Amino acid sequence: MPTWLQKILSSSLGKKYITAITGLLLVLFLVAHLAGNLTIYADKDGSAFNSYAHLIESNPLLPLAEAGLLVLFLAHIGLAVRVTIENRRARRSRYAVANDKGKKTTSSATMIWTGLIVLGFLILHIWNFRIGKELAGESGDLYTLVKSELRQGWTPWAYVVGMGALGFHLWHALRSAFQTLGAAHPYLDEAWEKLRWLAVVLALGFASFPLYFLFYT
Amino acid sequence: MATQEAATTTSPAQNVHPKLQSKSPSGPMAERWTKHKFDLKLINPANRRKFKVLVVGTGLAGSAASATLAEMGYKVTTLCIHDSPRRAHSIAAQGGINAAKNYPNDGDSIFRLFYDTVKGGDFRARESNVHRLAECSTQIIDQCVAQGVPFAREYGGLLANRSFGGAQVSRTFYARGQTGQQLLLGAYSALSRQVGLGRINLRPRREMLDLVVVDGVARGVIARNLATGEIEKYAADVVLMCTGGYGNVFYLSTNAKNCNVTATWRAHKRGAYFANPCFTQIHPTCIPVSGHYQSKLTLMSESLRNDGRVWVPSKMSDTRSPEQIPETERDYYLERKYPSFGNLVPRDIASRSAKEQTDAGKGVGSTKMAVFLDFRDAITRDGEDAIRARYGNLFQMYARITGENPYKTPMRIYPAVHYTMGGLWVDYNLESTIPGLFVLGEANFSDHGANRLGASALMQGLADGYFVIPATIAAHLAGRALPAVTEDHPEFRAVAQQVTDRTQRLLGIKGKRSADSIHRQLGNIVWNQIGMARTASGLQSAMRDIAALREEFWNNVNVPGSGADLNQQLENAGRVADFLEFAELTARDAYEREESCGGHFREEHQTPDGEAQRDDVKFQHAAAWEYNGEGKPETRNIEPLTFEVVKPAQRNYK
Amino acid sequence: MSESMHITLNVWRQKNAQEEGRLEAHACDVSPDMSFLEVLDVLNDKLVSEGKEAIAFEHDCREGICGSCSLVLNGQAHGPHKNTTTCQLHMRSFKSGDNITVEPFRAAAFPVLKDLVVDRSAFDRIQQSGGYVSVNTGSAPAANAVLVPKDDADSAMDAAQCIGCGACVAACPNASAMLFVSAKIAHLGLLPQGQPERKKRALAMVSAMDREGFGNCSNHFECGAACPKGISVANIARLNRDWLGAVLTEREERKDQGD
Repeated sequence: MPTWLQKILSSSLGKKYITAITGLLLVLFLVAHLAGNLTIYADKDGSAFNSYAHLIESNPLLPLAEAGLLVLFLAHIGLAVRVTIENRRARRSRYAVANDKGKKTTSSATMIWTGLIVLGFLILHIWNFRIGKELAGESGDLYTLVKSELRQGWTPWAYVVGMGALGFHLWHALRSAFQTLGAAHPYLDEAWEKLRWLAVVLALGFASFPLYFLFYT
Repeated sequence: MATQEAATTTSPAQNVHPKLQSKSPSGPMAERWTKHKFDLKLINPANRRKFKVLVVGTGLAGSAASATLAEMGYKVTTLCIHDSPRRAHSIAAQGGINAAKNYPNDGDSIFRLFYDTVKGGDFRARESNVHRLAECSTQIIDQCVAQGVPFAREYGGLLANRSFGGAQVSRTFYARGQTGQQLLLGAYSALSRQVGLGRINLRPRREMLDLVVVDGVARGVIARNLATGEIEKYAADVVLMCTGGYGNVFYLSTNAKNCNVTATWRAHKRGAYFANPCFTQIHPTCIPVSGHYQSKLTLMSESLRNDGRVWVPSKMSDTRSPEQIPETERDYYLERKYPSFGNLVPRDIASRSAKEQTDAGKGVGSTKMAVFLDFRDAITRDGEDAIRARYGNLFQMYARITGENPYKTPMRIYPAVHYTMGGLWVDYNLESTIPGLFVLGEANFSDHGANRLGASALMQGLADGYFVIPATIAAHLAGRALPAVTEDHPEFRAVAQQVTDRTQRLLGIKGKRSADSIHRQLGNIVWNQIGMARTASGLQSAMRDIAALREEFWNNVNVPGSGADLNQQLENAGRVADFLEFAELTARDAYEREESCGGHFREEHQTPDGEAQRDDVKFQHAAAWEYNGEGKPETRNIEPLTFEVVKPAQRNYK
Repeated sequence: MSESMHITLNVWRQKNAQEEGRLEAHACDVSPDMSFLEVLDVLNDKLVSEGKEAIAFEHDCREGICGSCSLVLNGQAHGPHKNTTTCQLHMRSFKSGDNITVEPFRAAAFPVLKDLVVDRSAFDRIQQSGGYVSVNTGSAPAANAVLVPKDDADSAMDAAQCIGCGACVAACPNASAMLFVSAKIAHLGLLPQGQPERKKRALAMVSAMDREGFGNCSNHFECGAACPKGISVANIARLNRDWLGAVLTEREERKDQGD
């Protein structure tokens, strides 16, 4: 490992930096993912979605992208868990009266939990559409698979909960990441305050798919 | 063993007490410090690391001295009474620091700062010391700026100055209303750097409880570790005491709660003469006492008097609210008595006049121990916004403490003890009458005479620490043979045992009263009899009352807990015990000084108009008190003062 | 004088760092004009007259500048007001009948010494690692030789106002010291005098902070809300910037010959 990376990883600030950068890259991935998924709404038979899926799957760089995503997730989760454990250690005894001066939010206070819920969702999601598909062979089209999975028992509700957690997570993350990266200035801060609504857009956007399949198809 | 006296630049003055030789250099005033520095021996850098320097206290003087001496290569150990050096009370100074830079080109010079300080001190300071202080002032600013002290700036990026405390020139440098804080943080950062480099052994939460003198030379101290209760020994080749003033002998003062006289008083009992303890400064614009539980007083910058008008109702015991009192029934007494200076008369006069009014039954507020400081006319004239821009944070502080809105109703103010000019006697080298014991900052008596000018305390602490002591310490270290003395020396064990015994005695009394309640009672006596105006009979009764209270303390104080851990009651009890001895000396000093000068006002000695009347024939000297042992009266020795440059004159502010 | 109020204090008592602590209730009659510390004074006087051990709490200047006083009142560092230290908090801010829980600042890096007194020397060690400009006494250039834009001097002063009380650590859910460290970094980093050591300082102070066992910053911004001097969390972003720049560009210290 190069010295600069060692230095970064051994420092509290470095860990936060990498958590912020990986987090922002994952948000970019989510934006692209949501944009692609919106093809579901393009027609009733899912042909738009299937051809989009085919475009992705036939790309020879897909394994590379998947590996990249995996690294981002692992780094983000690993560092976040480590930072949280360190934070707990830094405050061993709790206050008898839990109160504060009102800057902390539900979103900021629950980052590790919403993050872990999203992780749970992620495992389910990959089982449903990546490993599940693998096991089923290349037979059916993706649209049919999505439709059937997202109407099965509790799965759609797990998706909605997962996306709710994602929204909460990103509401703080989108504001926090830029502060961690040092991008603070009265004008910039104003922009970040607006940008955090992207969290709501992403959460509602993704949550709309299970609800759509459950109630409208 | 015999110690070899340091070489001095003048021959001993005739007819002066042998221990009170000022060692002031001779020759033209402006060249004395340079000449003296040249005459002092130098210590080879390689030899400096062989000398152990012990610094007690980490305010401006202590931090500055520790840092500078460590930079020079000495082995420094620094004791700090707080958990961190950054908390010393220097931090609370608001207004600014004087320096003769003459940046505003308004006629200031080193000579003018020297002249103003000697005159402001009412001709009771040593001229050579004051001139040196004025000389060092300019270097202090350079040093602090280089450390990153964020002084106020003009738009062009140059340093800003303001006029302060009625000075005719703008020579005060400031960092908002927190100049003391910023200067202390500067000195603290220099100290921290040396600690980080391993050149200072910093011991926080240590209180000096006694001085160890071996063969007539100060060789270390005994301190208590305030966190563990352990009694510790610190041996050194030279001891610097930078332990601040004794304003808390009044109980209520603007000093921080931990300020105390213990270190200086213990050194005094080991042979250091205490000079002019009756010279105390009372600041006129403080927030008045609101109840019997009051623990401390808060000062508001005297700049408030630039726009505020001081008044009381003309009628006695007027209970109407200020708004209901018509103009004709208000007495703007400062404007009436001092038409040319008005509300801007010096601190001592403003304070004494307020006392006159409350004594006459014209005080205001629920306790009747306050006068009004009214901004109504200034607000009408300049608008509330202008006043807010000038004094916003002071008004906010007042509102927070009193719960009143000073934009709508006049402030209530009353004088409070603020600074002590007296302290351990030191010569020109800042060395006390115990060889090897140097005293810096407010703890010594040197530079302010009977009254200190505004913005000069910070200047003195830093001058002593950064520039004076690094040169004069050589008078002791290079001038005397210093046999090796370690913490195992029998004298260290003996003094440590005395300290332990005293602690046990305090814990063993098991009476009924807290040390704090006795301190409060002492404060009442001192404030009433040794406060703004003093009389022979009042001082005599004070001496009796203090002795009786001391008796009660040693029979009826209760100090709970043990000596073996953090015990704030025990710490406080030890300090109160020393205040009870010290207060009597203060009363005696005030009693013996039969004149009025600066902060010392004897009612018997005033002009027909009620102004202070000095007696230069009998009292143009510093009184240096010598301890003679438990229960024996102290001896009053004197160091005569000569004024070669600034000729004594009567102050006049009519 | 205003009428008296009746309040109950639940005060944290802890004999020393090793033993467990607990809350102890005390009923007090107080005047609305008293400061919070004066309530503790009066309570202590009563405890001493009953032969009990007084409550240890740290205090000194009692005018909001020394940073000695600490205390968490009903879960809030320095009590309920903005920009106010405990010593400047008066009882008129409470109501008669109120219960006030008084706890020490809690953080692994600030161990409790006794009752409400904690050890904040970690802050000093951070300062010793690099919170200074390396200038020996006497070697300073003339004060006006270096110009400092007024805006920079004012911003530096905003950060330099920090009183080192540790409320930021006490209020932070992670007990992080980022606001404190960033205020030092901003103060010196904004001034020309602080430039030569800017990178070195950021690296050294951040590693010292990490060694002391403070938590990591998660941008809750509770520190800024609790700070009695109103130090801005924008300083934290500045520290983040300075530190990254330093990590990526600072060279290894050269071991030169001589002193």
